[in-house]
Amino acid sequence: MVKLNNCPAVYRHYNFKLSDKVIFILLAFTTITTSCRQEVYKNVVGDASKTSNVQVGKAEIKYAKGFSIFYYKGFKLINIYNRVNDGVDTVKYLLIKKGQDIPSGFGNVQVIETPLKSMIGLSSMHIAVVDFAESDNILKGLGNLKYVSSPVVRNNIKAGKIKEVGLDGNLNNEAILDMHPGLVMAMGNQNAKGTRYKILTDAGIPVMQNSEFLESTPLGRAEWVKVMGALVDKEDLVNKKFSTLELEYNKLVQLAKNVTSKPNVITGMPFKGTWFVPEGDSYLTHFIEDAGGANKWAGTHGIGSLPLNFEAVAPEALHATYWINIGYVDSKKDITAQDTRFADFNPFKNGNLFNNNKLTNDLGSNDYWESGAVNPQVVLADLIKILHPELLPNHQLVYYKQLK
Amino acid sequence: MAGIVTSVPQAVGKPKINHRSIFMVLLVLLVPIFLLDVAYGTIHIPLKAVVEIIFQRSAPNQTWQYIILKIRLPKALTAIIVGIGLSVSGLQMQTLFRNPLAGPSVLGITAGASLGVALVMLSAGSVTTLYTIKELGISGSWLIILAASLGAALIMAIIVFISSSLRDNVIVLIVGVMIGNITLSIISIWQYFSNPEEIKEYLMWTFGSLGGVTADHLYILTIVILAGLLLSFFSSKLLDALLLGHNYARSMGLTVKRARLLIICSTSIMAGGITAFCGPIGFVGIAVPHLARTLFNTASHHILIPASCLIGSLLLLICDIVSQLPGSQSVLPINVITALVGSPVVIWIIVSRNKLKGF
Repeated sequence: MVKLNNCPAVYRHYNFKLSDKVIFILLAFTTITTSCRQEVYKNVVGDASKTSNVQVGKAEIKYAKGFSIFYYKGFKLINIYNRVNDGVDTVKYLLIKKGQDIPSGFGNVQVIETPLKSMIGLSSMHIAVVDFAESDNILKGLGNLKYVSSPVVRNNIKAGKIKEVGLDGNLNNEAILDMHPGLVMAMGNQNAKGTRYKILTDAGIPVMQNSEFLESTPLGRAEWVKVMGALVDKEDLVNKKFSTLELEYNKLVQLAKNVTSKPNVITGMPFKGTWFVPEGDSYLTHFIEDAGGANKWAGTHGIGSLPLNFEAVAPEALHATYWINIGYVDSKKDITAQDTRFADFNPFKNGNLFNNNKLTNDLGSNDYWESGAVNPQVVLADLIKILHPELLPNHQLVYYKQLK
Repeated sequence: MAGIVTSVPQAVGKPKINHRSIFMVLLVLLVPIFLLDVAYGTIHIPLKAVVEIIFQRSAPNQTWQYIILKIRLPKALTAIIVGIGLSVSGLQMQTLFRNPLAGPSVLGITAGASLGVALVMLSAGSVTTLYTIKELGISGSWLIILAASLGAALIMAIIVFISSSLRDNVIVLIVGVMIGNITLSIISIWQYFSNPEEIKEYLMWTFGSLGGVTADHLYILTIVILAGLLLSFFSSKLLDALLLGHNYARSMGLTVKRARLLIICSTSIMAGGITAFCGPIGFVGIAVPHLARTLFNTASHHILIPASCLIGSLLLLICDIVSQLPGSQSVLPINVITALVGSPVVIWIIVSRNKLKGF
């Protein structure tokens, strides 16, 4: 039967016979488009009308594992896969033109009107994907106005066009309801099974939970720009730009593939005795491998980081050649101020300290986390320049800088 | 004011145990446990090499030398100093307030230190940014230590100021607990408005750690704890007198307020200093005095203060050994271990004697 949460109870508990079904579906359709316009989750079961949903294509997703895009006649469907432990929880989004009828047969879906005109982003990555799709002006709200690097978005903030809505834990629901954006792009969370944003979805604001940070490869993470392309109807532009960066990235991988020696790289910095090192399937480990570097923990499994004790990493740190992504430090002095023991590390003695904070602006926002996420080819070029300078003699470091 | 108590209050009806022999046993135990803590870790280093590195300063292997001298030895020494400081402050608080649940954190000193650290780690942007603080030329670990010390000193000043106009210690205790609550809720507000990354770093700090203390830190920490310890040795007779009740203490010519001030200062210095360097480490301060009283069967602070020092050091060394998960490259936060290892021991001892000593 038809489940319509906010509709009059008479529909909800309507026990109909088979013959009533067709009439009921027609009735339900008019109800959805008129009285139930507010409800964003639509659970429309109607096998009869399924025939009208003709799938005409599927976006080519080569690296990302967290989403897929299907094209139907007149509308699109985005599936976001939230990997929870071993299972996959699929969240579906129907992208339809404004005023168009909502196609049935997709079960529990959220409906987004395209092309998207207004959006709230909750992470730096969301700014980056909007910027990549050259649609900066649709951004009307951000979790935190401080952590922005894109000049266009910063200008919009100065002009008062973008409001602060608070970060994940303390989202200002009232402000968002007042703005009523076309979409809230949130960070996917393993235990955020829709209930977290229920207030918003109940009010007809779709919430998309991106999980790009769970992608283990740099290209996979960057490929999420395709979701944005579909949302703003700019697939051609986005796909073209992505192909260019993909080509460049893979060229660089080939360039670094045949290096004879792979220098050992350490990352991060211990804090209070605990040193987080990236796991073998993580984004950073892939970057290091693609750039022709070696990392002792590359053989481990997992996409996150391992909390090791100082002692477990120290033998590696003492003999490594390079130390990258060091943390919130800007000079050798900053490093020894954290802990004088770090001065004994080989990379410290040799001056091979490269931090990814070159593009940190006056507010403390680091563009590595923003545009860097959708420009993996630039980050990789930086890393190759650091680890094997002879391969890219003319490249100037963009995101990285050497600490003195 | 001091020097009036001549007879040490002893437990009645129990045979007098030879304290000296218990001290000897504990001291003898301390050596192998200290060595074990230094010898045992993620990276396997043969005991022979460990001894060579410590005593001869020769280096069979550069990496081993680094691990022993720069990582394990400072950590083990920190464990001893922290064990001493927290245990003695806990003992003093329990006696001052005549409350078996009191500990170093009871006056809000630890909360004050946390406030200072939260100011640096969490407030970025809202109150003052890390950038502006960095302009002062202090950064990194010393910044956190300075912030924590200032936070602890601020709360201590408030407590001392309020308590100087109060006669009843119980009121001082309640005021201390309340000020701690206020401080913690201010931190909660900051946490609420902070980034997840900032909160994570702050949380890491609140787990407590002995591993962040380097050799330079260790010198300062040792001086701070020695200063606090000196004050508490001076006040041991005052503490004995306080145990017999305020009226009795006053009848012996003791100025209760002055004694209280001395004890609060000594506790604040030790608890504040330790929290500044290692983060808030719970449980030790409450548990060790009970262990000392039970083991030595006395209420005399002449005995209890050194006894708490020894037991506290031993307990923290053992906790540090346990926190190195066997065969793993990870460590558990010391705070988890102190409560996990210590609580059953305390329950067992107190229940088996069925009577709290000294209260």
